[in-house]
Amino acid sequence: MMNSLFLLLFILFGSAILSYIGHRISETLGNIIVVVGAFSASIWFFVGFETPAEFSYKIADFDALWSFSSYSWIFAALVSILSPLALLYSTSYMKGKERLGTFYFNFFLSILGMIGITMSQDFISLFIFWEIMTWSSYLIVIYLGKDVEKVGIKYMIFSAIGAYALLMGIVLINREVGSLLIEDAFAYFPQIQFSTQLLIGILLLIGFSIKSAMMPLHVWAPGAYSNSPMSYTAVFSGALSKMGIYGLGLVFIRLLSSGEFTLINEIFAWAGAITTLMATFYAIIQDDAKKLLAYSSIGQLGYIIVGVAIGTELSIMAAIYLAILHAAFKGNLFMAIGAVEKQTGSTDMTLVTGLIRKMPLTFFSTLVSIIALAAVPPLGGFVGKWMLYQSLLASEHFFLIIVIFTASTAAFLYSFKILYSLFLGQEEPEFKNIKEAPLPMLIPMILLSLFLIVTGTFPGILFEPIANGMKYLGFNDVNWNMSLLVNAWGDEVNLQHVSMYIGTIFIVAFIFISLKNRKRTRYVTTKDISTSGEIPLPHENLSFKLNFYKPFERAISPVMKKTMDSIYDEIGNGLNALFQFIRYIYSGNGQGYALYVIIFFVLLLLLKNQIFGL
Amino acid sequence: MVIADPIYYIVLPLLTAFLLPLFGKLYKPLIGIIPGFVFLFLAYMSVILMIDIRPDNPIITKIAGWTPPFGINLVFSSFSGFIASLISIMGFLIWAYSYKFKKVGFDDSLKYFILLLLVVTGSIGIVLTGDIFNLFVFLEITGISAYALTALYRGRDGAEAAFKFLLIGAFASSMILLAIILLYTQVGTLNMAEISVRMHEVDLKIKVLIFILFFVGFGIEAEMFPLNGWVPDAYSQAPGPIAAVFAGMVAKAGIYALVRIIYLMFDLEGAFHLLLIMGVITMIIAEVVALRQEALRRMLAYSSIGQMGLIMIAFSFNTEQGVFAAIFLMFNHAIIKSLLFLTTSFLVYNTKTKLISDLDGFGKKMPLVSLLFGLGAFAIVGLPPFSGFWSKLYVLIAAANQHMEVIIALILSVSVVEIIYYFKVISRLYFRKASEEIPIQKPSLNSSIVMIVLGLIIISVGVYPDLITGLIENATTSLLNKDLYIEKILPGLAEIIN
Repeated sequence: MMNSLFLLLFILFGSAILSYIGHRISETLGNIIVVVGAFSASIWFFVGFETPAEFSYKIADFDALWSFSSYSWIFAALVSILSPLALLYSTSYMKGKERLGTFYFNFFLSILGMIGITMSQDFISLFIFWEIMTWSSYLIVIYLGKDVEKVGIKYMIFSAIGAYALLMGIVLINREVGSLLIEDAFAYFPQIQFSTQLLIGILLLIGFSIKSAMMPLHVWAPGAYSNSPMSYTAVFSGALSKMGIYGLGLVFIRLLSSGEFTLINEIFAWAGAITTLMATFYAIIQDDAKKLLAYSSIGQLGYIIVGVAIGTELSIMAAIYLAILHAAFKGNLFMAIGAVEKQTGSTDMTLVTGLIRKMPLTFFSTLVSIIALAAVPPLGGFVGKWMLYQSLLASEHFFLIIVIFTASTAAFLYSFKILYSLFLGQEEPEFKNIKEAPLPMLIPMILLSLFLIVTGTFPGILFEPIANGMKYLGFNDVNWNMSLLVNAWGDEVNLQHVSMYIGTIFIVAFIFISLKNRKRTRYVTTKDISTSGEIPLPHENLSFKLNFYKPFERAISPVMKKTMDSIYDEIGNGLNALFQFIRYIYSGNGQGYALYVIIFFVLLLLLKNQIFGL
Repeated sequence: MVIADPIYYIVLPLLTAFLLPLFGKLYKPLIGIIPGFVFLFLAYMSVILMIDIRPDNPIITKIAGWTPPFGINLVFSSFSGFIASLISIMGFLIWAYSYKFKKVGFDDSLKYFILLLLVVTGSIGIVLTGDIFNLFVFLEITGISAYALTALYRGRDGAEAAFKFLLIGAFASSMILLAIILLYTQVGTLNMAEISVRMHEVDLKIKVLIFILFFVGFGIEAEMFPLNGWVPDAYSQAPGPIAAVFAGMVAKAGIYALVRIIYLMFDLEGAFHLLLIMGVITMIIAEVVALRQEALRRMLAYSSIGQMGLIMIAFSFNTEQGVFAAIFLMFNHAIIKSLLFLTTSFLVYNTKTKLISDLDGFGKKMPLVSLLFGLGAFAIVGLPPFSGFWSKLYVLIAAANQHMEVIIALILSVSVVEIIYYFKVISRLYFRKASEEIPIQKPSLNSSIVMIVLGLIIISVGVYPDLITGLIENATTSLLNKDLYIEKILPGLAEIIN
C-alpha cells in the first residue's frame, strides 16, 4: 500500500505528465485530464487522510520526513481548494492558447511544490519543493511571452535571492543543530549562540518574505502577477504567496520564540504595514485592472505579515484567517478580471466599461470579493480586520494601527475603481455583443463567492482548523465562536445579526431602487453628451475613468517619486557597468594572457612569505 | 571473465590512435567505428573495476614488471578510478554523439578520432599515473592533442584560439617540468608516493618554490584565474563535442593533478588558503564575465571556469565534506556541462552568428535539443530536483561547517548571477517568437540518444542522489587517506624512512 502522502504527490505529478501528453493529442482530452487530476488530488487530500500519515526516508544522508502538521494542513487545504477551481477555470480561460501542455505541466508542478512545502517536516525537502514551485511558476510567468526579460528575469532574480537566503539559513541550521528536521531545529535553536540565531532568523525571514512580496523585496510581484495568465495568478497570488506566510509563521512563532527578537518582529511588522500602505497607493493609480489587483495583492499580504510579525495569539489568528480569505477573494477577483479579459480582450479600465448587464454573474462575484476585500460587513474580510485591529490595540501598536487604517481606507478607492470602471458606467457600442463568461469560468467564481458570503456570517468554519493549527504554534486554547466575535474588553458582535440587518437593508434598497428607476433608466455611451462647439473625435476616449483619482494622485505624488524599482534599476545598471569593466580582463589578446601568467607567477613568488608563513 | 586492468586505459586508445590510419586504408568507415569499440571497452572495464574497488584496496599496476619506485605504476584507487571511469564513460558518450563526424566541405574524421583517442589517453593517464614525470608526459599528450583539436576547423579563429592555448600551455609545461626537475634534485625520486614520504626532508623555501611552480602549471590546466585566458577561445572554436571533452576531461584532469599534488605531496597550510582565494576569485570573475557574453559558447566557457572555481573552493576546505562536495561537483560538472555543450553545438550550428540573441524561438524549432539545454541549465545553476543541486548543497554545508559564512554568501550571490544568464537563454529559446524561418539541421539519432542519456543521468542523480554518493564517499576516503596510498604502493617504505 502506497503511503497516502506519497500518493498525493504522485497524483499531482502524474496529472502533470498526463495533461502534457493529453494536450499534445487534443485540447479536450488534455482539459479532461487536467480537471480530473486536479479534483482527484484535492479529494484525496480531504478524504484520503483518515489517520495522520507520515513518510520518513533518508536522502543523501539527510533525514527527511513528510507529514502534515495541523498548522501546515491549513495551507495545504487552501491550496487544495483553490487550485482545482483555478484549473477548472483555466480550461476555459486558456482555450485556444499555444503549448497548453507545458502550461498545465508547470501548473501542476507548482501545485505539487506547494503541497510538498506544507508536508515537509524537514528543511531539505522543504527547500526542494520550494525551488520546484519557484521555477515552475517562473515558466508560467513568462509563458505568454510578454516582457520576458524584464518581468521574468526580475522574478527569477528575487526568487533566487530568497531561495538562497533560505538555503544559507538551512545549511547554518544543519551545522548548529546537526539535523534538518524542523522539529529538531525548534528544539535546539535556543541553545545556539545568539548572533548565529539572529543570522539564521534573518536569512529565513528574508527567504520567506520575498515570496510574500514584502517591501522592499516586492518589486517582482506586480509584473509577475499581472503577466501570468489570470487562471494561474489566482493561485499565484492566492496560494503561492501564502507559502511565504506559512514560513514566516514558523520562523516568528516557533524559531524566534525566545523573546529576544522583539526588534525583528517590530521591523517586520512595520515593513508589512508600509508594504500595505504603499502598495495600496500604487493600486489606486493603476489603469490596468490586472496591475491594480497585483498591487492590491501585495497590500493585502502586508496586513497578513503584520499579523504574523506581531505574534500574539489574536494577531496570528487574524493573519491566518486573512490569508485564507485573501486566497478566496483575490483568487475570485483575478478570475473575474480574467473573465473580463477573455470576453472583451482588454483589462484597461479606461476602455472596458458597462459590463454589468452583459456579465452579471461576473459582476456579482467581483462585488462580493470587493466587499470582502474592503472589510465591510457582512463578508469575511471584516472579521479578519476586526481581529487584526484588536490584536494591535491589545499589544499597544497604536502607530501601526494608524498606518494600516489609512491603507484600509485607501483600499476602498481602488475597490470602487475596479468595480465601477469595468462594470458600471456608460455602455460602449464596441462591447455590445459581449456575453457572460462560459460555465467552467463561472462555477469557480460563484463557489468562491458563496464561500465568502458564508464565512462572513459563520467565520467559525475557518476558526476551527485555525485554532487547531495554532496548537502547533504553541497557542493551546484559542477561543472561538461560530458566529460571535468577542474582544478583550467584553464587547460582542453577533455576526448573524449583522448579516441579517445588512442583508435586509440591501434587499429592501435593491427592490426600492429597481422599482423606482425601472422606467427612467436610459443606457448611454460616452459619446452621448452635449458639447459646446468642441466635437469629440470618434476615437477620443471620453470615459471619465481617465485620471479617476487625479487629486488623490497629486496628493500622494511626493511619496511615489522614488520607487524601489528605480533604486534596483540603478543598482543593476551600476553592477552591469562594473561587470562590463571586469569583462575586459579577458581582452582576447594571447600575449596579454601570457603576461597574466607571468605576473601571477611573480606575484606568488613575491607574496610567498605571507601566504605560506615562511 | 573479462581481463580488466588499468593498463588498458592507456595502451588501447594509444595503440588504436596509431593504427587508425591503417584501418582507414582498409575500409573508410572503420575510422569511426573502431574508436567506438575501444571506448566501449574502456567504459565497460570501468564499470567492472569500480564494482570491486574499495578505499583500502586500490589496484596498482606495475608497468613492464618494474616495481615502484623504479618502475612506473598506475594507481586505480577509489578516487582516481572514479575520475578515470568518468572520463572513459564520457569518452564513449562523446564518441557515440559524434561517430559520424564530418564537417561540411572536408572530411577530417581521421584526425578527429585520432586526437580524441589521444586526449582521452592523456587525461586518463594524468589521473591514473603514480609517477610525477609520467604525469608530465600525459599532460603533454593531452595538451598537444587539445591544441590540435582546437584548430581542427582550420579557420582563422580556430588557429588563433589554438595559438593562445599553445602559448599558455607552453608555460604550463615548462613550469611543471621545472618543478619536477627541482623536486628530483631534492628527493631523488619521481614516484609520487615516495616523494610524499620524503617531502619532509626538503627545505621549506624550496618546497614552496616547487609548489608555486606546480600550482601555476596545473592552475593553467585547471582553468584558474588569471591563467585561463585560453579557455573561452578554445571552448568556442573547437568542434562542439570537443568543448564537452575540454570541460568534462581536460579540465577535470587538470584539477585532479592539482589536488593530487596538494593533498599527497605538499603538506602546506598556505596551499589550501591559496587555493581558496584563487577559487573564489576565479568563480566570481568568470561568472560575472559570463553574464556579459553575447556568444552562447563563450558564455558556457566562462560558466565552466566558474564551476572550476567552485570545485577549487570545495577542495580547499581540506575536510571530508569539502572533498566530497568537490568530487560530486566534478562529476556533475562533467555530465551537465557536456550536455550543455553538446546541445549548444546543435543550437549554434543553426544560427548565423552564434549569438544568444539568435536563439529566439528555438524551443519550437528544435524541441528536444532546447528541452535538454534547459534541463542542463536548470541542473547547473543548482535547481532541485536535478543533480547540480546536491553538489551545491554539499559545498555550502562544507563551507558552513568551516564557519565560512562569507564564502557561502559569495557562492550564493554568484549563483544568482548564474541564474540570470542561463535563464536569459532559456527565455529566448522558449518565450520569444522566432524571427525567420531557416532550414534546421535536426540532431541525428545517435546524438539525440547520447543527450537523452546525459539528461536521464542528471534527473536520476537529482531525484535519488544515493546512486552516486557511495562512490564519491569512497573516493573521498581514498584521497584523504594518504598513508594508505603510500603503504599500498611502497609497502614498508614509510617506516624505513622515518
